[in-house]
Amino acid sequence: MPVAASAIYLLNLRGDVLINRLYRDDVGGNMVDAFRMHIMQTKELGTCPVRQIGGCSFFYMRISNVYIVIVVSSNANVACAFKFVVEAVALFKSYFGGAFDEDAIRNNFVLIYELLDEIMDFGYPQNLSPEILKLYITQEGVRSPFSSKPSDKPVPNATLQVTGAVGWRREGLVYKKNEVFLDIVESVNLLMSSKGSVLRCDVTGKILMKCFLSGMPDLKLGLNDKIGLEKESQLKSRPAKSGKTIELDDVTFHQCVNLTRFNSEKTVSFVPPDGEFELMKYRITEGVNLPFRVLPTIKELGRTRMEVNVKVKSVFGAKMFALGVVIKIPVPKQTAKTSFQVTSGRAKYQASIDCLVWKIRKFPGQTEPTLSAEVELISTMAEKKSWTRPPIQMEFQVPMFTASGLRVRFLKVWEKSGYNTVEWVRYITKAGSYEIRC
Amino acid sequence: MTMHGMRGLSVFISDIRNCQNKEQERLRIDKELGNVRNRFKNEKGLTPYEKKKYVWKMLYIYMLGYDVDFGHMETVSLISAPKYPEKQVGYIATSCLLNENNDFLRLAINTVRNDIIGRNETFQCLALTMVGNIGGREFAESLAPDVQNLLLSSSCRPLVRKKAALCLLRLYRKNPDVVNVDGWADRMAQLLDERDLGVLTSSMSLLVALVSNNHEAYWSCLPKCVKILERLARNQDVPQEYTYYGIPSPWLQVKTMRALQYFPTIEDPSTRRTLFEVLQRILMGTDVVKNVNKNNASHAVLFEALALVMHLDAEKEMMSQCVALLGKFIAVREPNIRYLGLENMTRMLMVTDVQEIIKRHQAQIITSLKDPDVSIRRRALDLLYGMCDVTNAKDIVEELLQYLSSADFTMREELSLKAAILAEKFAPDLSWYVDVILQLIDKAGDFISDDIWFRVVQFVTNNDDLQPYAAAKVKEYIDKPAVHETMVKVSAYILGEYSHLLARRPGCSPKEIFSILHEKLATVSTTTIPILLSAYAKILMHTQPPDQELQSQIWAIFNKYESCIDAEIQQRAVEYLALCQKGAALMDILAEMPKFPERKSSLIKRAEYSEADTAEQSATKLRAQQQTSNALVVTDQYPANGVTLRISVGQLSLIKVPSMITTENDTSTDQALSQQNGSLSKVDPQPPSVDLLSDILGPFAVEGPPGATVQSEHIAVSGLEGGSDAVDGSAIVPVEEHTNTVQPIGNIAERFHALCLKDSGVLYEDPYIQIGIKAEGRGHHVHLVLFLGNKNTAPLVSVHAIILPPAHLKMEFSLVPDTIPPRAQVQCPLEIVNLRPSRDVAVLDFSYKFGTNMVNVKLRLPAVLNKFLQPIQVPAEEFFPQWRSLSGPPLKLQEVVRGVRPMPLPEMANLLDSFRIMICPGLDPNPNNLVASTTFYSESTHAMLCLVRIETDPADRTQLRMTLASGDPSLTFELKEFIKEQLISIPTARSPAPAPKAPPTAQPTPQIPPNDPAAILAGLLS
Repeated sequence: MPVAASAIYLLNLRGDVLINRLYRDDVGGNMVDAFRMHIMQTKELGTCPVRQIGGCSFFYMRISNVYIVIVVSSNANVACAFKFVVEAVALFKSYFGGAFDEDAIRNNFVLIYELLDEIMDFGYPQNLSPEILKLYITQEGVRSPFSSKPSDKPVPNATLQVTGAVGWRREGLVYKKNEVFLDIVESVNLLMSSKGSVLRCDVTGKILMKCFLSGMPDLKLGLNDKIGLEKESQLKSRPAKSGKTIELDDVTFHQCVNLTRFNSEKTVSFVPPDGEFELMKYRITEGVNLPFRVLPTIKELGRTRMEVNVKVKSVFGAKMFALGVVIKIPVPKQTAKTSFQVTSGRAKYQASIDCLVWKIRKFPGQTEPTLSAEVELISTMAEKKSWTRPPIQMEFQVPMFTASGLRVRFLKVWEKSGYNTVEWVRYITKAGSYEIRC
Repeated sequence: MTMHGMRGLSVFISDIRNCQNKEQERLRIDKELGNVRNRFKNEKGLTPYEKKKYVWKMLYIYMLGYDVDFGHMETVSLISAPKYPEKQVGYIATSCLLNENNDFLRLAINTVRNDIIGRNETFQCLALTMVGNIGGREFAESLAPDVQNLLLSSSCRPLVRKKAALCLLRLYRKNPDVVNVDGWADRMAQLLDERDLGVLTSSMSLLVALVSNNHEAYWSCLPKCVKILERLARNQDVPQEYTYYGIPSPWLQVKTMRALQYFPTIEDPSTRRTLFEVLQRILMGTDVVKNVNKNNASHAVLFEALALVMHLDAEKEMMSQCVALLGKFIAVREPNIRYLGLENMTRMLMVTDVQEIIKRHQAQIITSLKDPDVSIRRRALDLLYGMCDVTNAKDIVEELLQYLSSADFTMREELSLKAAILAEKFAPDLSWYVDVILQLIDKAGDFISDDIWFRVVQFVTNNDDLQPYAAAKVKEYIDKPAVHETMVKVSAYILGEYSHLLARRPGCSPKEIFSILHEKLATVSTTTIPILLSAYAKILMHTQPPDQELQSQIWAIFNKYESCIDAEIQQRAVEYLALCQKGAALMDILAEMPKFPERKSSLIKRAEYSEADTAEQSATKLRAQQQTSNALVVTDQYPANGVTLRISVGQLSLIKVPSMITTENDTSTDQALSQQNGSLSKVDPQPPSVDLLSDILGPFAVEGPPGATVQSEHIAVSGLEGGSDAVDGSAIVPVEEHTNTVQPIGNIAERFHALCLKDSGVLYEDPYIQIGIKAEGRGHHVHLVLFLGNKNTAPLVSVHAIILPPAHLKMEFSLVPDTIPPRAQVQCPLEIVNLRPSRDVAVLDFSYKFGTNMVNVKLRLPAVLNKFLQPIQVPAEEFFPQWRSLSGPPLKLQEVVRGVRPMPLPEMANLLDSFRIMICPGLDPNPNNLVASTTFYSESTHAMLCLVRIETDPADRTQLRMTLASGDPSLTFELKEFIKEQLISIPTARSPAPAPKAPPTAQPTPQIPPNDPAAILAGLLS
């Protein structure tokens, strides 16, 4: 296990220390001053999350209005450190009830210190699983010995949780209604040339699961992925069904998934933890269905005028629709006046990001709204630098659509008691970095 | 200000101030800039109010450090607004946002001009402020006359005139060529009559700028300045608002005195008297008081007054008063004042001769050396260093030595260096010097640079009577248990050289000395071991009668180090062992070191180097710089090897003035020479320290051929000149010419030969003077210029230069001035007309006096035969008829030359080419032959074609046949002889120059006598 941190600081945006925890004494206590001086007060904040000042490395990450800074002086594993931060934030969020910001931290100092003591030891990450930590670090106050109500909760068996075969699930769970929710969330990353040819495109997806199941159920998930289907057809010695199969790259599973069975039978079978968790992650690079096509034409008319025409075409089913579509069209810094004509949605100029922002709340499939704008530029002193034309950026969410075409074929639940379960499946596709050059 | 009612602006500013972090601020500003751009682009135009508001916002954003690269048009247009609030923001924003090269400024010039010549004085002030702030060339061109008029106008209020003066000052500073100040002297004088102190202060600033450029024109202002000073000093007619803590306008006082320092001197006695009265009053009236502000003001005035006093070279009484005042300052507790006191005292030391008076405060200065404040300690050290002379050197150096052990580490190096220099410069007796340096090494060994111990070794080597004392002393030191390595180096060197002088004393037998030294061997680094090895070798050599036990011990050590990984140590061990085994020859090679040539102490050079950065910009300093700047700075040329330079004097005298040569080692000269160490060392040029090192270690580091050849040659020269081997077995003796106590730098003969081939270069150089030469030839005329450059800070006097022309040259030589000022260069043109061909050489008899030294040198002038040649290419159809028509002697001469230095044919062709004899290729079918032609110019022969043919023998390159033809018999003969000389002996760095008069065959290549130690050495090495 590599070292991940010598010290952790939580700072607010002004650079005040909210909480700090030193795990090793190879960094000084005033390291945060260096961070403030050399990173926060320069323009480099946000360009590179790893910086070296003096003999120390600073890894930092901003989450809402808090900077989480890790300081190490040895050769630490950066990926491990960032993973630790991400997991720690997820942990805090599950303790605070979803919010992680300056106020939440100020309200939970003691709890955070307790957690920080638990999740890292001498710079080595420890157990970060909320389910398990919640057994020991509770949010209830210390019960007074004089309080009448005796604790009816069983004393958690620590050794079983940490060393047992199914460390992630408690025994003896009982639900009146046994339900499983599956969310398939995909984000599309795209870089397209102005001519419309795809330069780079991939989809990162994850399957999130929420289980409310009694006992120790065994679950089996079937997807329309290539390996799984081939294996199945081999086993059943019948030709694979026609239809689209998906090739998944870089699949990673939650620790509950039985990998030996996956390797031998290519099926995803697991005993799920209670509550919400991320079952698997994957990536797809081929056969991506792009939900939108963007056709921009931007003309510079002389030194002080520009004409922008953008056509956005939705290429998913006509019955579906996208939500929260935002198209950001960059314009030069010296933009002074803008006038728009849009066929749907609303558009305006945002000087703080130097973009024309076109928002369409509900975007049905198989339509092509257009924006045409006239931009007037102010003449400047400086020699007119040729404008670099940054790419157009797009944000959206398309429910019930997967850019990869991934489908859940089945989800089987098997439990000793043989109860019936209700399964819910949702699909959603979001924009990752969806960029079109113009 | 005019913020009232500009709600948008104040909201924006409070938004910015409420931003939590930089990022929020940037977002807010980008938003605002977008808004401003939008507004400025509005077709309907903006109301003046809006325009004003947005320009203020832009200015605010600009001041926060963001780029604002638009809206300049709007800004400039506000200048022409009729109302004050708009005009004000227009002017302010313009002077902030635009720089002098901006094109938009052109649009504003007219409006600005209208405001300046207008009646409204508020607008005038705004315009003047803006022009002064920007101060561009175009403004200067179009507005300077108006500003000048405003300054002189009697109808303007002082406020406007004040601003006008400052505006003009700025324009003048930026573009002195554009602002016309001709005839301004009268107007400035008129301005200085002004009663209003504000206008006066501004005008004085302007005057300082004008005077610093050209003081000649402003003589008329001088009495007025004195008058102003008088008025202020007497506190007459100074309004309350111009007194600062009871001091009448200290700013004006300081500026006036600064202006006065730009005038070289004050001639008018009454003005001078008045000025001195005023200065006296300032000096008397200043004291240290409680109030810091008052102190600051009065001290500023005082120090400027001191500078002026120094500048004017006031009488001694006043100087002593100044020093007394400064003495009071350095006794004060307050560190700032003490610092200033010390600093100014140091400055006084530089300018005037008040050492005696300053010396009274020596005790106080020494106390300051122990001040807790390091900057004060440094000042005190500087001052002590500066004020040191023969009378107080002992005290000061002892004080420094004492202080050394408690001084902090940052200062120790400087301290030890300065102590070493002072000890050297002002040593009352040399044993004291040795004591001091040894103490220094003992106390602060880590901070002693190599230069310091090199220097002490040089001293001891050059002073015979010091040697036993030094040897005894170092033995005492090295006897101690823990000794610094530098001390080991010095001791090893000195004991190696001179321990035999102590042999009779108890505890100083060679064996004991050896064991003391050998104890240290284990503790020292590889740089010291070679010195120790040399010391062993020398001890062994001096041991009489030979001690078998010691010998075996030392041989064992050499044996051990024969396989040392360090090349230097290994080589020494091997060579010493071999030398020891040679027996008697050891004596010659390891003889005592010869005396070192006199040169400037490298320590002083280092001190000068470290002082260079504490420059001060007072007018006094400026004056000093002006003096030096018109003198030529001559680059010093160092000889590649310090030893070679000793030879050249002997060589020169060998050729020219045989009567002056002495072959004996003139010990009395040496003695006299060493007596002058102290005074001489100050002015010598600085040899690099590497050179120094090679001097110390050179003669015993038997390293390789170069050193050996130098020595052998050296002996060869002395052998030649004296006819007998004057070198006795005990020493390798430098040849000294007894009249010249100055060593020339570089080889004179070599320089002469180099100059024979090229047109310009250095003819002669010694520590005091450099003589350069530049020749320009036109037919039989040669125009020569001699450049006599004084390299020192003291003048050279009794300079005489006489040219002894040979019969064939007619020379016109202008007189050389009797004195060459410090660091100056004198040019002496010399016209030479060639009457007829001859190989005789003109001689320059040059002498000068420096201090008590009379230096006389005789130099050959490179006006030789080949300077009157002009290369010419002769085609075959002309060559052969000519060649045939000149038949037989005396017009055509042929000679077989033997003993030619062997060289390949192209090299020979190059050589001829460098003598301006042009090779005509292809005329002779035999590739081993050379055919060349040239034209000779003289008054008797006019232009005369000369033809040359050289036939070489590929089998024997040492002989050749040379045929020469020309229309004049004497020319043919002379040219033949000339070429022959050059072919037989090509001047190289290491061969003695041929005597031009002597027949070439009589010039043998120096034969090394077989019993010569250097020859043995060379034989050993080869």
